[in-house]
Amino acid sequence: MQTAERTLKDHSRDLTISRGPVDVPFLMLTLLLLGVGVVMVLSASYASAYYDLSKETGGNATYYFTRQLVFALVGVAVMLAASRVPLKLYSRFSLWVLGAAVVLLAAVLVIGSAGGGGTRWILVGGISIQPSEIAKIGVILSFATLICRYGNLMGTFKYGVAPFAAILGVIVVLLFLEPHLSASIIIILVGAVMLFIGGARLFWFIGGLAGVGGLFLVAITVLQYSSERISAWLDPFGDPSDTGYQIVQSLYAIGSGGLFGLGLGQSRQKYLYLPEEHNDFIFSIISEELGFVGAGLILLIFALLVVRGYWIAMHSRDRYSFLVCTGITSLLALQVILNVAVCTNLVPCTGISLPFFSYGGSALLVQLGEAGIILSVSRDIPVTRAVKKRRPESVKSKQTLSEPS
Amino acid sequence: MPDKRQKLNFPDTPNAMMLRRALFLLIVCGIVAFLVLGLRLFKLQVLDHGFYETAAIENQIRKTTVTAARGTIYDTNMKILAMSASVDNIYISPAEIKLYEEDATLIAQGLSEILGVDYETILARAADTESWYQTIARKVEPEVSDQVRAFKNTHDLKGIKLEEDSKRYYPYGSLAAQVIGFVGTENAGLYGIEHYDDDILSGVNGRIVRAKNAAGTDMLFTSFEDYYDAEDGQDIVLSIDSTIQYYMEKHLEQAVRDYDVQNGAAAIAMDVTTGEILAMVSLGSFDLNDYQMVAPEIQALIDAEQDEEKRAELLSEAQGKQWRNKAINDTYEPGSTFKILTLSMALNEGSVSLNDSFYCGGSVPVEGRDPVKCWKSPPGHGAQTLTQALQHSCNVAFVDIGMRVGAEKFYDYCEAFGFFDAAVDPDDQLTGKTGIDLGGEAGSLWWPANKFENPNNKTQLAAASFGQTFTITPLQLITAVSACTNGGYLMKPYIVREVRNSDGSVYARTEPTVVRQVISEETSRTVRAMLEQVVGDKNEGTGKNAYVAGYRIGGKTGTSTNTVLEAQTGEKEYIVSFVGVAPIDDPKIAVLVLLDCPGSTGVYISGGQMGAPTVGKMFADILPYMGKEPQYTEQELQTVDKTVPELTGMTAAEAGAKAESSGLTFRVIGTSAAVTAQIPAANSVVAAGSQVILYCGAEPSAALETVPDLTDLSYSVARQQLGAYALYIRASGPLTDPAAVRVTGQNIAAGTAAAHGTVIEVTVADKSDLGRY
Repeated sequence: MQTAERTLKDHSRDLTISRGPVDVPFLMLTLLLLGVGVVMVLSASYASAYYDLSKETGGNATYYFTRQLVFALVGVAVMLAASRVPLKLYSRFSLWVLGAAVVLLAAVLVIGSAGGGGTRWILVGGISIQPSEIAKIGVILSFATLICRYGNLMGTFKYGVAPFAAILGVIVVLLFLEPHLSASIIIILVGAVMLFIGGARLFWFIGGLAGVGGLFLVAITVLQYSSERISAWLDPFGDPSDTGYQIVQSLYAIGSGGLFGLGLGQSRQKYLYLPEEHNDFIFSIISEELGFVGAGLILLIFALLVVRGYWIAMHSRDRYSFLVCTGITSLLALQVILNVAVCTNLVPCTGISLPFFSYGGSALLVQLGEAGIILSVSRDIPVTRAVKKRRPESVKSKQTLSEPS
Repeated sequence: MPDKRQKLNFPDTPNAMMLRRALFLLIVCGIVAFLVLGLRLFKLQVLDHGFYETAAIENQIRKTTVTAARGTIYDTNMKILAMSASVDNIYISPAEIKLYEEDATLIAQGLSEILGVDYETILARAADTESWYQTIARKVEPEVSDQVRAFKNTHDLKGIKLEEDSKRYYPYGSLAAQVIGFVGTENAGLYGIEHYDDDILSGVNGRIVRAKNAAGTDMLFTSFEDYYDAEDGQDIVLSIDSTIQYYMEKHLEQAVRDYDVQNGAAAIAMDVTTGEILAMVSLGSFDLNDYQMVAPEIQALIDAEQDEEKRAELLSEAQGKQWRNKAINDTYEPGSTFKILTLSMALNEGSVSLNDSFYCGGSVPVEGRDPVKCWKSPPGHGAQTLTQALQHSCNVAFVDIGMRVGAEKFYDYCEAFGFFDAAVDPDDQLTGKTGIDLGGEAGSLWWPANKFENPNNKTQLAAASFGQTFTITPLQLITAVSACTNGGYLMKPYIVREVRNSDGSVYARTEPTVVRQVISEETSRTVRAMLEQVVGDKNEGTGKNAYVAGYRIGGKTGTSTNTVLEAQTGEKEYIVSFVGVAPIDDPKIAVLVLLDCPGSTGVYISGGQMGAPTVGKMFADILPYMGKEPQYTEQELQTVDKTVPELTGMTAAEAGAKAESSGLTFRVIGTSAAVTAQIPAANSVVAAGSQVILYCGAEPSAALETVPDLTDLSYSVARQQLGAYALYIRASGPLTDPAAVRVTGQNIAAGTAAAHGTVIEVTVADKSDLGRY
């Protein structure tokens, strides 16, 4: 027992001292997406910044771009810093992060600033942050910690479901009060993913799915704005000037892009037709300018990044790293998938930003920080591990390797 | 069972189930989901690309129309009858007023001041903030729109917009209104040449297609802009001579007033040899620059109506009536003017000769109907030559002539004269048109062949011989009469002489078209000689009131009843007409005048009393204008109106001598040696023998005289009566025998106050031998 503890301590010391290099493919894919994303913010936001619809740019066409660029550079630094922080440390502070997120979520209801249909932002030192973003990573980190702690007890309701459901319940209630539907969806999904890989029994998911479905049905029938979204989703051209406006304009942008697009910077829909063109609907502008080839390529890069994220997770050194890495990768994947699905009207319209692309400094920082955590995980993968191919073996060898020699 | 503490610490690795589930996530979130998204993109961007591209472009562009300059309409002497000028439409964009936070009340205030549009109305339009386009004023003249532009710029108002448009101007107002026609608010021709040749005149509008942002302003850095040049319309040169048109309108309007004509009037002047329309008049007319407006007396009638619906109905009825071109849009029974054609075919067929004698006992029996009565019945015209039969316009003789021609030949000639087109089925009603290049030409209505040629019923043939029971347009009649007098050639009438490109080059020229030769040159010559006898013979000619001293004029009167109306209601409505050709020895111009339903004014209702003098007055103006010098006889030199010479400044004796040598008399007032003033003014035209007053030092009286009623006085008596008031008289038109012709109308009404020296223009007519001919 003591040996085991010692081993862990020694092990973590080892890690801090002699960790491997970051995973180059993941880093490169991230930087590639970030670079393209910043450029696309320039292109997409040009018109609205020039016309200054939000009354904050002062007509400076590169206003959003400059800010996004600064945040991207800071974000890269954050990412690299995060990649140097050992997972043990994340684990240690994971519940604090969650606690802070809950406090902030409660605070935002009191001191938050409104925007986009809800009270979602807190201004801290000139930077507005979304507590929901912190809640997402908080859920991942804390769930991973709890899952590790409960171990085989995850199969029980008492350990494997109840505490997690309670945490999610608190967060979702707070988010509903803002209200912030899209963040609720993401957090519930991410929480579900964590429980799924954490070993919760599958029938809880079936039950949970039914419960959540019922909940949404109630929400939709109760909340007028949601049912409007549903009808706009089913028939956007039914009311193209009002409820269907945003999605119709998005479809115009995507559809008119064609195979090769109108060319970088040549979007027409960005000229005040498509709202949120540099935020939630930036992918529509990308599709318009770069066409099916360009947009498809970006989707492919995202897919590669996601696959690489899971690959890192599955090769990660320990269970905690595995859980965190899978959680973050899934969070990234869910945001991308849902964002693109909204832009292409596969799912009803809801405000989910596209990671690395959508304008928004604090979100970008958080996303890059999350990528940094994955990179941190990747650093613990011994070089030799890369050639190991089968899971059962890798599990074994992991155990072998973790033994003190 | 592992130790619980160890469990709470970090388990070293994920177990197999966790990895399996992670792999599942990898496949679902990393591959399957992205494949679905890729497929969705493929559908939107590749498969449905066309649809979205079209929709997006519709969404993004704003089209601006560049109005093509509409062609000008000229008369034959290149006087402008219709032209377009640039104007502006003023509109506001409430959406932009809202977007740029502009002051709607300021805009409403400014625009209402400049444009005279109601302030509240503008404000109400500005309140529709969803709208990008709310019209405030249309076709605003440049001076006014410049003020709007200045107001817009001063206050930097993006919500006020100006849009170029064009407006049609008609410099002559009502001149040839129904012929020229007008354009509607969308610059599309609605009536007349403007409508008929709309394609030629309108050109092709250009377009500017510009990419705009959602706020409606130009996109940044986007060269997405297409120009489609406007192709200006072509110009049209009409054969209408605005001077001839003016003379005809003037005299026709006078006739309508003098004879209280109820249903409007029409007149046509045609170039006899080419079929060109030199003038075409339809009354009541209207001002092309304000084509909605009806004559004030009609408007008064409409205003008197209480019911609003009824008012609108009356207005649109009145407008429809004034816009009609009676010369081609309506048909009538021509009556005796048609005898020219009966005569022509009979002569051409050899059915009659100049030496034949025709007896008129007042009526003639006709198979299948009651005997046809002559207008002079009893006692009838007695024995008469062919020429006399025409001079007398004798119905009995012409029924005889028609019978001699025979129904079938008569029918063939009528077809040859263009009154109808032959039909395959002999039982069909027949109709025909001249094919003039003007819209809305009405078709004639003729008896089916089987009915007309029925050997047991000559009713139709008998009536047709003197121009009744069928209907034709006035244009058809004058075209056929032209054929009878120009050597026999039926011409296709036309009114567009040339189409010119906007640079002035000739694009197309209308050449005279001979449809066919109907009668021989020789027959035509005979017909001309006989027609001259109708007008020129002061004793026997029923058309003598069309005579113009110094000119050789041929013609024929017509007085017809509307037989359909008469059969239906028993009311007798007359259409009186006269067709004249001059100079009859070398025909150049034919003039037809038609007065529909003259009222009771004391003037005997007939073509001879109303139509003939009107045509005569027209010829009196037109023939000198066309450069035809009058050739007076000795007697005519005595009786024609004289021009008063300049006498002021001469000695009284010199002046008196000059006045007398000019065919005038004189008296002197005052004692000075020199003439200091004269009445009437130099270059006035007055009746021969009028007394000029020469003031030698004395001041002419400024007193006004009341114009007396001259009706029914002979011309010379009228002259003497007026002389007593120091007023003067002149005859506009035919003046055969000053002692015999009677005044039938005067241009200054009785009871009007007039200054000394005023010349009153009177219509005169020989009132002997009255009858419906």
